[in-house]
Amino acid sequence: MSPVGFVLTEGDVVGADAVGADTVGTAAVRVRGLWKRFGQQVAVAGIDLELPAGRFIGLVGPNGAGKTTTLSMVTGLLRPDQGTVEVVGHDVWRDPAEVKARIGVLPEGLRLFERLSGRELLAYTGRLRGLPGAEVDKRATQLLDVLDLAGAQHKLVVDYSTGMRKKIGLATALLHNPEVLFLDEPFEGVDPVSAQTIRGVLERYTASGATVVFSSHVMELVESLCDWVAVMAAGRIRAHGPLAEVRGEAPSLQRAFLELVGAHGRDAGSDLDWLGGGSR
Amino acid sequence: MSAPAITPVVVRLKLSLLRNGLRQSGGRRAAYVASAVVALLFAALQLVGLIALRGFDHAESLVVLLVAVLGLGWAVMPLFFPGGDETLDPTRLVMLPLRPRPLVRALLVASLVGVGPLFTLCLLAGSVIAVAHGGAAFAVGALAAPLALLVCVALARAVAAANVRLLTSRKGRDLAVLSGLLVAVGAQLVNFGAQRLGSSGLEQLAPAADVLRWFPPASAIGAVHSVGEGAYGAAAAQLLLTAAASAGLLALWSRSLTRLMTAPDGSTLQTGGAAAVRDRASTGLARLLPPGRTGTAVERSLRYVWRDPKTKAAWVTSLAIGLIVPVFNAWQGTGSVYFACFAAGMLGIQMYNQFGQDTSAFWMVAMTISSPRDAYVELRARALALLLITLPYATLVTVLTTAMLGDWPRLPEALGLSFALLGAMLATGAWASACFPYSIPQEGYKNVAPGQTGLAWISLLGGMVAAAVLCAPVIALTIWLNTGAGDGDRLWLLLPVGTLYGAALTLLGLRLAAPRTARRLPEILTAVSKG
Repeated sequence: MSPVGFVLTEGDVVGADAVGADTVGTAAVRVRGLWKRFGQQVAVAGIDLELPAGRFIGLVGPNGAGKTTTLSMVTGLLRPDQGTVEVVGHDVWRDPAEVKARIGVLPEGLRLFERLSGRELLAYTGRLRGLPGAEVDKRATQLLDVLDLAGAQHKLVVDYSTGMRKKIGLATALLHNPEVLFLDEPFEGVDPVSAQTIRGVLERYTASGATVVFSSHVMELVESLCDWVAVMAAGRIRAHGPLAEVRGEAPSLQRAFLELVGAHGRDAGSDLDWLGGGSR
Repeated sequence: MSAPAITPVVVRLKLSLLRNGLRQSGGRRAAYVASAVVALLFAALQLVGLIALRGFDHAESLVVLLVAVLGLGWAVMPLFFPGGDETLDPTRLVMLPLRPRPLVRALLVASLVGVGPLFTLCLLAGSVIAVAHGGAAFAVGALAAPLALLVCVALARAVAAANVRLLTSRKGRDLAVLSGLLVAVGAQLVNFGAQRLGSSGLEQLAPAADVLRWFPPASAIGAVHSVGEGAYGAAAAQLLLTAAASAGLLALWSRSLTRLMTAPDGSTLQTGGAAAVRDRASTGLARLLPPGRTGTAVERSLRYVWRDPKTKAAWVTSLAIGLIVPVFNAWQGTGSVYFACFAAGMLGIQMYNQFGQDTSAFWMVAMTISSPRDAYVELRARALALLLITLPYATLVTVLTTAMLGDWPRLPEALGLSFALLGAMLATGAWASACFPYSIPQEGYKNVAPGQTGLAWISLLGGMVAAAVLCAPVIALTIWLNTGAGDGDRLWLLLPVGTLYGAALTLLGLRLAAPRTARRLPEILTAVSKG
């Protein structure tokens, strides 16, 4: 755990430096009274949350906790039943032009335009965002290089592997240099090499003072990457704050999380006593 | 040790899969039962028909051709319906300790179970009765029919096993989506062929049948006929040919099965040769397109017409039907120049449900639309992409129809009506795209996600009725100029009037649709993400 702790402290310092005096106290995202129901099921049950700017923020929780629903509402892809969302001081629903220009999104479970090649997808996204063509092509080349996709840039995205898809999705989200980046399960199903590449890009991005908000159910990952976490379960925020604060006395975030959601102490039981090497 | 028991296990597995498939939903069960009943009724009718054919001239030609087509059907079926039979996919059994020979036997027996083989057997029995003359011929027929069935089934299995890599790949799934087209075009060809046969008689089939009677599985039926004619040598040769074919196919199947079970499959292989994909980026057309969102969206839309199997299938269907209806009618002398509007109408349908065609990738568009202006430019670009294909095509079809009918004086008004209709379709299409979006599932044949059928009907039917109503002024003007105004020398006016009216409708429709699109982005995304 010690290397992780070291990286975190360093991240904290860098973050504090980069944020500087002018952004101290401003929130990247401010959520008030957010609700969403799907029929009988309450997906998000009244969230109030302020995410500080210039941090690497992890939204953690088990499957079905409402992470994706929350991120969709925060990014303007899903209309909340109630509540307001502000991103860098602009209301997502009243001021979409200001917000959409400032955020980058990598959703989970939504397709990309997969019948375009990786390069075409970037060219398309950049031009839709109103960037000049030459600039788009320059940034696309650099992103494809850094994300190790240059060799597959002319392949259709539909033929990409999961890791490659996440990487090209990340590239489209970064292309217009957003202030806040929202990533839904960016490491899900990604091989270690691609994960390391993604990680490197994200760390470089936050070091410059930008904000990353990403969701995950893998605690070790969140613990090693983030300096600020919000824990979600059953549509509510159970805890939020700097990582060390949320982790508290617990030896790891995983433990702290299990205690928060009350899922610890569940044992495999003694029913499987036949399972194991030796006899059949 | 498990070898003797495996055949019944696989047969039971097949029956369970069938039964569980039916258990999933009432609708599916009803559909399956209905299609099975229809298939068996059809088989029974064919049986009766074939028996009735007995003794007619050229009955043998027809029957041989029929069996050959049947064999072809079995050969291409696994390519177009790869998901049809899960026991067909041997890679699912790859983790079990099975030897190839018992496995082939078990899979063969399992594949003889089902509606398809029963249907085929009915048809083959009918064929034998239709061509058999004399006791010896019937005796040979009793052997020939099962043998032909064996060839059909082995053919399907061999083709499937040989193409498993294709079938489980993206290209194979794309192919399956396009198969609906093949059926539609094939039906047109059969229809056309039947009409020609109806007018000039069955003897046209004889040369084809002479060749096909030596090709399995038709050779089995050829053998039955040969025996009836007393040509025992030929019969023996034909029967032997059939037997050899089934043995060969089984061997082939067994070989590719063994290879499949022991070699790495697509999931473990690195896909090679990917670098060979051509870079078609920003070639000629892209440079001609305006910069910004307009050009970008036009380019993407056009790329999707070519690359996305669902979009491609919809376009090709529209293009084909838009051409076939006016031109074939004109050819048969029953048409009218006004039928040429059909092309504009069919292609205008492509404007409907624009965002559904994006699937859930619509979020990428939604993230970049932050004002009604953005939405307007996006919709206008999509209409432009459509016009780039539709305008020349509708003009071509109209000119072609006019030329075939020799009704040149009516060309301007037909064109004017076409363009007015196209404009009305684009306008209502844009509006329906914003108000009634629905998902288009990417897999399978459905074009509407479950639960959204009503929405799709509202969108399409309501839109088409609205488009017709919107066109009413131009239609009325056409009628008035043709009758009321007496002299026909002002009919040319309909071309500019129709064109301008269509353009005005399109712009108005886009203007009305844009603010709705911009307001409803999350709702549209939810609606198109169900597939």
